[in-house]
Amino acid sequence: MLILGIETSTQQVGCAIGGHEGVLASAHSARGRRHAETLTPSIEFICHQARIELSEISVVAVDLGPGLFTGLRVGIASAKAFAHALRVPMIGVNSLDLVAFPVRFSPRLIVAALDARRGELYFAFYRQVPGGLQRLSDPELGSPDDLASEIIARGEECLLVGDGPLRYPDVFSGLSKVELASREVAYPSARSLVQLAHARALREEWVNPWELEPIYLRPPDAEINWQTRDSA
Amino acid sequence: MSGSVVLGIETSCDETAAAVVVDGRKVLSSVVSSQVDLHARFGGVVPEIASRAHVELLTPVVAEAMLSAGIEPEELDAVAATVGPGLVGALLVGVSTAKSLALVWDIPFVAVNHLEAHLHAAFLEEPDLELPAVVLMVSGGHTMLIHWEDHGRYRLLGETLDDAAGEAFDKVARYLGLGYPGGPAIDALSLEGNPEAVAFKRPMIDVGYDFSFSGIKTAVVNHVRKHPETSTEDVAASFQAAMVDTLVTKARRAAHELGAKSLGLGGGVAANSLLRERLLSVCVDDGYQAYVPSRSMCTDNAAMVAACGWYRLGVDGPSSLDLGAEPNLRLPTVD
Ligand SMILES: [Zn+2]
Repeated sequence: MLILGIETSTQQVGCAIGGHEGVLASAHSARGRRHAETLTPSIEFICHQARIELSEISVVAVDLGPGLFTGLRVGIASAKAFAHALRVPMIGVNSLDLVAFPVRFSPRLIVAALDARRGELYFAFYRQVPGGLQRLSDPELGSPDDLASEIIARGEECLLVGDGPLRYPDVFSGLSKVELASREVAYPSARSLVQLAHARALREEWVNPWELEPIYLRPPDAEINWQTRDSA
Repeated sequence: MSGSVVLGIETSCDETAAAVVVDGRKVLSSVVSSQVDLHARFGGVVPEIASRAHVELLTPVVAEAMLSAGIEPEELDAVAATVGPGLVGALLVGVSTAKSLALVWDIPFVAVNHLEAHLHAAFLEEPDLELPAVVLMVSGGHTMLIHWEDHGRYRLLGETLDDAAGEAFDKVARYLGLGYPGGPAIDALSLEGNPEAVAFKRPMIDVGYDFSFSGIKTAVVNHVRKHPETSTEDVAASFQAAMVDTLVTKARRAAHELGAKSLGLGGGVAANSLLRERLLSVCVDDGYQAYVPSRSMCTDNAAMVAACGWYRLGVDGPSSLDLGAEPNLRLPTVD
């Protein structure tokens, strides 16, 4: 079973192919041309490098967000098109689960946080359990100060991972019992995506392209304004 | 299937569309999923809402276009998608989808200019359309008078200096409390009004080929303030008459001065009844071959994208897979 993973929820664009033997090929670029320009050629490139025909792919995995809207849509639209054209099922994975994945061996409380722009972060809490990580709650959207307060309230040793905390070092670096993970693991990676999706694929936890929904967490501005107007 | 079979994809604004067209002429299927209801309460297209809807709708729309055309992926020769102009987030959904399909199916991807696609809608209904033609391209985003000299040769004669024609219809409709979209609302109401009730000035009607509509819009507002007794039907009909008169007069003059063989319409505003009627009568009176597309071919659709993609594939060959959206793309004109 080969899985194609597509990851575009942050400024990084990534894709990977893997399966039982682990990740066979991957490409990530955090700086360069925009998502749509980079993604399709990257997929073509890794297939070529790993000598894989696209027709060998049996599952398409994609990061569902939360993340940067435009990037997410490029990834999800592409992933749906790949799955549709290949006639294979899909697996959607939460971006924060992907950020927490590389630090899954830490016994501390793990906090994954991604930059949501406009002075806000997407975040979720995790704890190590046999065989991986357990997410303690649904992903949230809040200010860096909201997250800092939650961390302080929990009063535990904690490992903070993602590009969110790195953007607000003043808020997080002074907190006691909190360590910031390095920039190396700040973005969700397509390699993690393929590994997480593989475990789920073994349990046949897949969906059809039309059932896959992005996780935005923030409604369009027009709807926010509309609701404000209604309640005014 | 003999001939060259192209799948077209269109997501530049608020229509999610896919179509299968043979040799840029024969439409096997054309599926359009309109989001107009999603945007109506906001009084205009909301880009973020449009982009979200495209992600949800596009794959099913593509599947339906293929199914109703009775075409298998193996029979396709290319996938064409609108890359611009349009809303960047909306365009990206179509471009990303088209490139992915092209990669899996191992066929060329063709980048299509939305404005050129509107022109190519002509050949879907009038395969024998004679060039040179003068085409009036009018929509919510554009008002252009184009001299279509020959295949692939377009000259921009004039465009709007302020509001696009469709924008003027939307703004006046909103002012008159007729809702969104404004064009169809004014069109319908005008049938019950007197187009000569108010003589709105026709700005720049005898000067050049550029357009300016903000003055008509202001004149409507001023008239309604001063003469609240004029019925909304009469105001709508008089406004529409002023708009159409300006558009048709300039198009007619251009066709005459440039010796066009055909005179045509394109874009969403080309669905307006009075505009269609007036343009047709000019063609009859002055002896031009008329191209007044059916309403479904005026508004955004993917059949025109497939038709244009077929033409571009023949001229330029496949587009690169590292292309993205080009929200500010202009019609490729000659000077
Ligand atoms: Zn259009």
